[in-house]
Amino acid sequence: MKQDFQTSAVAIEDLNDSAFKVRLRRNFEIIQNVLENPTTVIGLVIVILMLLMALFAPIITEPNMPDPYQMPRDWQAARSAPLTPGHVLGTTNRGGDVFYGVVWGARTSLKLSLIVVSLTVVVGVIIGSVAGIVGGKVDEILMRVVDVFLSIPELIFALAIAAILGPSFTNIILALVVVFWVKYARIMRAQVIRIKQRDYVDAARVMGDSKMQIYLKDILPNSFSPVMVQATLDMGNIVLVGATLSFIGLSEAGIAEWGVLVSEGQAGISAGRWWASTFPGLMVFLWALAFNLVGDGLRDVLDPRTETKR
Amino acid sequence: MQIKDYIIRRLLVLPILIIGTSIIVFALTRIGGSPIGIYLSHEMNPAEVQEMKERFHLDKPVPIQYFYWIKGVSQGDLGWSGVASAPVVDVFPKKFAATMELAIAAGIVAVSLGIALGTFAGARRNKLADHIIRVVSVSGASMPLFWFAILLLIIFWVWLGWFPIGRSDPNLFEAIPHPTGFYTIDALLAGNFAAFRDAVWHLIMPAVALGYGATAIIARMMRSSLIEELQEDYVDAAKAKGLAERVVLKKHARRNALIPTVTVIGLTFGFLLQGTVVAEIIFRWPGLGRWMASAVLRGDQATIMTYVMFTSILFLIVNLVVDIIYANLDRRVVLGE
Repeated sequence: MKQDFQTSAVAIEDLNDSAFKVRLRRNFEIIQNVLENPTTVIGLVIVILMLLMALFAPIITEPNMPDPYQMPRDWQAARSAPLTPGHVLGTTNRGGDVFYGVVWGARTSLKLSLIVVSLTVVVGVIIGSVAGIVGGKVDEILMRVVDVFLSIPELIFALAIAAILGPSFTNIILALVVVFWVKYARIMRAQVIRIKQRDYVDAARVMGDSKMQIYLKDILPNSFSPVMVQATLDMGNIVLVGATLSFIGLSEAGIAEWGVLVSEGQAGISAGRWWASTFPGLMVFLWALAFNLVGDGLRDVLDPRTETKR
Repeated sequence: MQIKDYIIRRLLVLPILIIGTSIIVFALTRIGGSPIGIYLSHEMNPAEVQEMKERFHLDKPVPIQYFYWIKGVSQGDLGWSGVASAPVVDVFPKKFAATMELAIAAGIVAVSLGIALGTFAGARRNKLADHIIRVVSVSGASMPLFWFAILLLIIFWVWLGWFPIGRSDPNLFEAIPHPTGFYTIDALLAGNFAAFRDAVWHLIMPAVALGYGATAIIARMMRSSLIEELQEDYVDAAKAKGLAERVVLKKHARRNALIPTVTVIGLTFGFLLQGTVVAEIIFRWPGLGRWMASAVLRGDQATIMTYVMFTSILFLIVNLVVDIIYANLDRRVVLGE
């Protein structure tokens, strides 16, 4: 199956019309295959709804000026139950509108996951490629560094980094980047080593292509699918871990972020005010679930040999 | 022979990984600035400040400080915890026992429930029960522990009032001696049934919350490996021999399906360990995780360093043991390298 999707060196080299069409048709087939799985479609629908919510947050709720990422405070209406006029999902003990936090939290989460995923993919792909291409001592050292990074449990590592840097949302982003690049380095290295042994790479070498040319034209494009699968899964995982760090208290208090809101809502729980934690927590769950479903679906189609590993 | 080599190689790498981890942890805390602040007070004059710096070797270059830290650690000096207002070494054992008690209870929940659900689902592939269990296990990997724990809290503590929070009823807790630090075991040793019941009662909610994610992972693995085993020839042979379906499932297929599941069980340990931080905050459990959470918020470096080092080493050792068990069970791991 997998072989079918891999464009040969020749096909990339002369990107004439027909080869381009072949690529298009293959991509279309991949999308068709992905959409055959009902759970993937459910995931995709939730992802799209979340993205729409993040995109249209300023239209869905009136932005809290000057900084819309701060929760608006309505002290008069503090501790309102859901379905109170003006506060559909109720308010927290400190008058934060839960609906506002839920909607703008989607935007915060999108920002967080996009920044962290793109940075970690770039860092991981570069380091993994260097290890795979150069090999020898460099590879050995880089992989030992990767092993060390993997020997500290994810959440605890991120927690420690964020703690040392001081509580802020930016530092959460930094902490997550430090923790999450490792998987990409591993994936990329494995891909490079695998593809290096392919016949078409030999062919390119014989034809006199330089190492860099081979890397850019043959190895990089063909390594795309496992990286994309991991990136999709991480779009969910990063929000999960990020919200956990925020819940523990490593964001600025009062920003419109789901974990922060759950933490703020905790204060009302013993008095029976269940809503302020329940709704934002549900959002974190749905976000992570949706990206996990889509990521699993992608993996089944793009990379059927690798089993689900968590 | 080859398995022996494999184990030796893994054992040789272990110290390298531990040293690497310690360097990262130390470098991290130094990025946050010198820890001299906790030893100083406003009344000190510059000479006294200098004296304090010299006393704790903080006037030396950072790499040298690293060796002083390692030297201290090897002599049992883990530093002063600002959060606990006591040396880390003194506070650690009690909190460790509390955390391990919770993690083990969660592990028991996860392993028993995970294997049971996975077997049940795998044996009824594509039936309703399988679909329901799949939803449970797929959602488990995406479930924010902090949310699931709060839901349990709302339902079973606030609304129904079935389970308490915290670790114990203080009166019962103080009525017995605590030689092991594990409240359940101490209660049994003391022969105090009321205390034992109290201990278990307090454990149930946090253990279920913490164990849920791991349950999902184990159930998923168990299901898929059982389905794989059920397609093997020996299953057909056993059935042809006239063995009852139940016997084939329990004595043959399930036993083999457990092999890959063992690895996953080991890997969920790290999952449980990190989860204790969140579970302990929400259920007010007086363990390492909650201590770490307050240390993190108050910049208590000694506690953070100890905690991260300790969990990483534990995590590494558990992974090593799991890999060795797995290599023994399935020789392809070694030969495939």
